[in-house]
Amino acid sequence: MSEFDPHALAEEDFLEEVRSVDFWFQAVDGYLRDRSYGRVDGTPEPVMEAGERDNLITTLCNYCVGETAALEASSGLVVIAPNRHAKIFLATQVLDEARHLEVFIRRLSDLGVEDPEHEIELRANPNLVRFKDRLLEFVADRDWDAAVFAQNVILETMEYTVFRAHLQDADPVTAQVLDGVVKDERRHLGFGENDLGRRLVAMPEKRERLAEVRAELDELVLVTFEEVQDSVGVERSARADLGGEYLAAVERLGLT
Amino acid sequence: MADFLSQYSIQRWLEMCPQGYLEDTVYGHSPELKEPVILVGNETLREESIRTTVQLVVGERCALAASSGLVNAAPDFPSKRFLATQTLDEARHVEIFTRRLFDLGVKEDDLESTLDEFANPNLVKFAEVLLEKVEAGDFIAGVVGQNIVLEGMAFSVFEMLEAVSREANPKFAETLTGTIADERRHVGFGENRIGSLIREHPERKADVEKMQAEMTYHMLATFADSFRGNAAVVEETRAVAAAEGFGPETAEWHGTDLAAASPEEMEAILADTVLGEFKTRLGRIGLEYQSPPVPA
Repeated sequence: MSEFDPHALAEEDFLEEVRSVDFWFQAVDGYLRDRSYGRVDGTPEPVMEAGERDNLITTLCNYCVGETAALEASSGLVVIAPNRHAKIFLATQVLDEARHLEVFIRRLSDLGVEDPEHEIELRANPNLVRFKDRLLEFVADRDWDAAVFAQNVILETMEYTVFRAHLQDADPVTAQVLDGVVKDERRHLGFGENDLGRRLVAMPEKRERLAEVRAELDELVLVTFEEVQDSVGVERSARADLGGEYLAAVERLGLT
Repeated sequence: MADFLSQYSIQRWLEMCPQGYLEDTVYGHSPELKEPVILVGNETLREESIRTTVQLVVGERCALAASSGLVNAAPDFPSKRFLATQTLDEARHVEIFTRRLFDLGVKEDDLESTLDEFANPNLVKFAEVLLEKVEAGDFIAGVVGQNIVLEGMAFSVFEMLEAVSREANPKFAETLTGTIADERRHVGFGENRIGSLIREHPERKADVEKMQAEMTYHMLATFADSFRGNAAVVEETRAVAAAEGFGPETAEWHGTDLAAASPEEMEAILADTVLGEFKTRLGRIGLEYQSPPVPA
């Protein structure tokens, strides 16, 4: 029997399929089964120098800030989602974001951080915190387009890009944790671009509003990008490509 | 508190739920099971099944809005994390009961109008009372309303429906069994987490108890509409089912044979069971059950 391909379905059936909890169960089963808190049991804890460990803690704390933003925003978006497919998809995203927070907090504990929530507050990047505040304002204002754009396009692209870059040089345990997270983020990005893409085709007048949101958030995103990459240790020569992925995502939506 | 909340991690949820009792199911049931042909083919039976399922969708939509809405109001990460798992559970329930409506022949384009047509107005009011608290960011009232009152009601209703469906409709019974397992977890969180918050904020008791009485009023009115107020239809449905040889000979639940009980008796056993559970669970978190006025 040939493998099931959801892209062969008609549009409504496609949404019914890929934005379902049942689809999510199957999707995550492939990469979360047999892992505990994102890591493969028995993987030894790597030996790290103090400075390297401290940098990793700062990085993970900021990942937690981003994931908290995504958890609070996606849960707030469930109630204002314009249709049942979007509500169901966002419910799966709520679970994903909470899981990311859980596995990063667990990783901080593995690294010897006694009070992760306090440490996250101490090490939070102010630009990322400002981004989070702005995102949650969009949600509180029930501004669906701006909130989905800020969360599922801007924030998710930033996370997806940074996590993948980090994955290349991460210690084995952190790499396992990041691997599962990256797979979730790809699904979230797909939702954001698909949902907004359809809405912009149907209502092109929204393009101008989203371009304004992009202009407002660009600086925060790009500065945060730079600072997080500093802490992760991404080579300067690779950074143009990382920024390019973010710019490509917004350009696909015609928001240049 | 930390030890109890660690039992509600996402890791544990993954192991218990998608990798546990929901493993190998499709939309909550074994893939080979279908709605019985007689239920889909007989208009009286089909309409009653749609009416029942619509109430489940309405209740679960409320639970989805409430659990996702409470994530931001939760005072700590472990509570947010639990509510994230509950958000997914409730979304799954919305999905599987909506899917049942489609299996019963409701067209996708007619979904919302079918919900509007069959939704019990008292159940809609019940949901509004809860969602008003959630909208206001009231974590204590929201969790009591959702995880004790709404979930307590859903738990007993699902158990009752499962008892009636076990023989006659294994697909629906299996779907309900998975939701009952979820609801048990949700009720447990509500009892454990809110008890300590009520002790810290005794000044909230009166307000929360008032909400419980209001929700209970609408719940009992929903039961009255569904059984006594719908007695002729219930009896007709039962007669049609008997003529078609459909349905269980006996279906024992809390000492009552649901297959033989009158609509009034069914309403009484459901209401007594739910109210008994409320009293026990509210007592555990330091609240006193408040009797509502009896619906006309």
